[in-house]
Amino acid sequence: MLALALVLTLTPGAGSSPGLRPGLVVLRTVLLTAAPFWVFLLVLHDVATTVAIGLRITTMVASFVWLVAALEPARLVEAMVAAGWSASLAYLFGATLSAVPVLKARAQRIVEAQRARGLSARGGIAARLRALRALALPLVLSALHEVDERALALETRGLVPGIRRTPLAPPPDTPVERAARWALLLACLFALFRRVM
Amino acid sequence: MRSLTLEGVSFWYPATDSPALRNVSLHVARGEIVALVGALGAGASTLLLVAADLAPRVTGGRLTGSAARHDRSGIVLPTPWTQASGMAFSVWDEVAFGPANLGWPTHEIARQVDRALEQLELAPLASRDPVTLSGGELQRVIIAAILAMDPGLVLLDEPAAELDSDGARTLWRLIRLLAKEGKAVLLATSTLDALPEVADRVVWLEDGAIRAVGPPDLLADVAACDAGLGTSVATVWRTSGLPGPYPLTVAHALRRWR
Repeated sequence: MLALALVLTLTPGAGSSPGLRPGLVVLRTVLLTAAPFWVFLLVLHDVATTVAIGLRITTMVASFVWLVAALEPARLVEAMVAAGWSASLAYLFGATLSAVPVLKARAQRIVEAQRARGLSARGGIAARLRALRALALPLVLSALHEVDERALALETRGLVPGIRRTPLAPPPDTPVERAARWALLLACLFALFRRVM
Repeated sequence: MRSLTLEGVSFWYPATDSPALRNVSLHVARGEIVALVGALGAGASTLLLVAADLAPRVTGGRLTGSAARHDRSGIVLPTPWTQASGMAFSVWDEVAFGPANLGWPTHEIARQVDRALEQLELAPLASRDPVTLSGGELQRVIIAAILAMDPGLVLLDEPAAELDSDGARTLWRLIRLLAKEGKAVLLATSTLDALPEVADRVVWLEDGAIRAVGPPDLLADVAACDAGLGTSVATVWRTSGLPGPYPLTVAHALRRWR
């Protein structure tokens, strides 16, 4: 599973960052996210347990990061609506996935604004921690403040519970893809059954 | 034929003791353009939220009096970046987001979206990714997105705030066109110079209550100018110490001079 996730992570086109291959950007994100877990596990457990649990955590992280990087939220919403899911629920999934780039862009704007006011994020660990604290507060507060306005905006644009949204451009869903989805679902159920029994 | 009727409406936001609106009675007819003016905090934005049936239903709070809406409404809020769906690859998809949520057939969605893009002069940007747009362009996209839902009651909160002068002129022309088509328009704006040419009626709000209602000439009233609600020409006239009533526009001022 881990090998599969890492191979998928290295798939070209999964993300974008100047100067790095997209797949490598995702791999770097996975490794940076999973690294603290490995450190804690190594402190708390022996090597065998650390490897066993650490690989599972890394697999989960890799799967999620790859999903976020490779899946266009708008495409997911269209596919879910076309499959008959509630539009509100589909938007909830899509908005969760699209939150990462939105927050990243906003954090970039806040950092630039703070730089313009003389706060530098460069230097030693203490300076970076100060810059992180100065970034976190406006980032969280502005995100919370925006929730109210976004709720009003979505309401006025018709995204209310119980609607039957018209799919605009549903992604093609071939018989092979449908079969693959069912096979994966059955594989998960089989793995769960084996684990429990 | 009325599109919106408010009778004795007072509104309190959650956890506040003083009302944001006090005993407001107002009606807006189909084909009419009503402008809300007032100082910051006068209640214009809140009045639009009540008219859109978003306050108190979505915002929370408490409302007394009655608010009757006879047409479906669409509201444009002042910050375009919080109104983008975040679910669109292109401007066309962004504008189609609302109509699709209404469950319309695809050919009707396409017709309304193309029409709204033309009205806002956005057709050349139809394939652009919304995240690459400037604030003014995105504001026009959001206005188009609301118009594509074909609301009978159009509510606009500072619609020209992000627009350059050309974009604002296009918007004011469009608002007159919407009224000609029979839509009711209720707008809150601090761009007072446009109102003599655009608005049929002006409602002056002060501390959540209606202080005066009348034709755009209201903006040349001595009391309105004293409250900072005069047009540029009226304000210059007043500052120069010339006697009232003040002229609203350059054309009015010229007529007075002659």
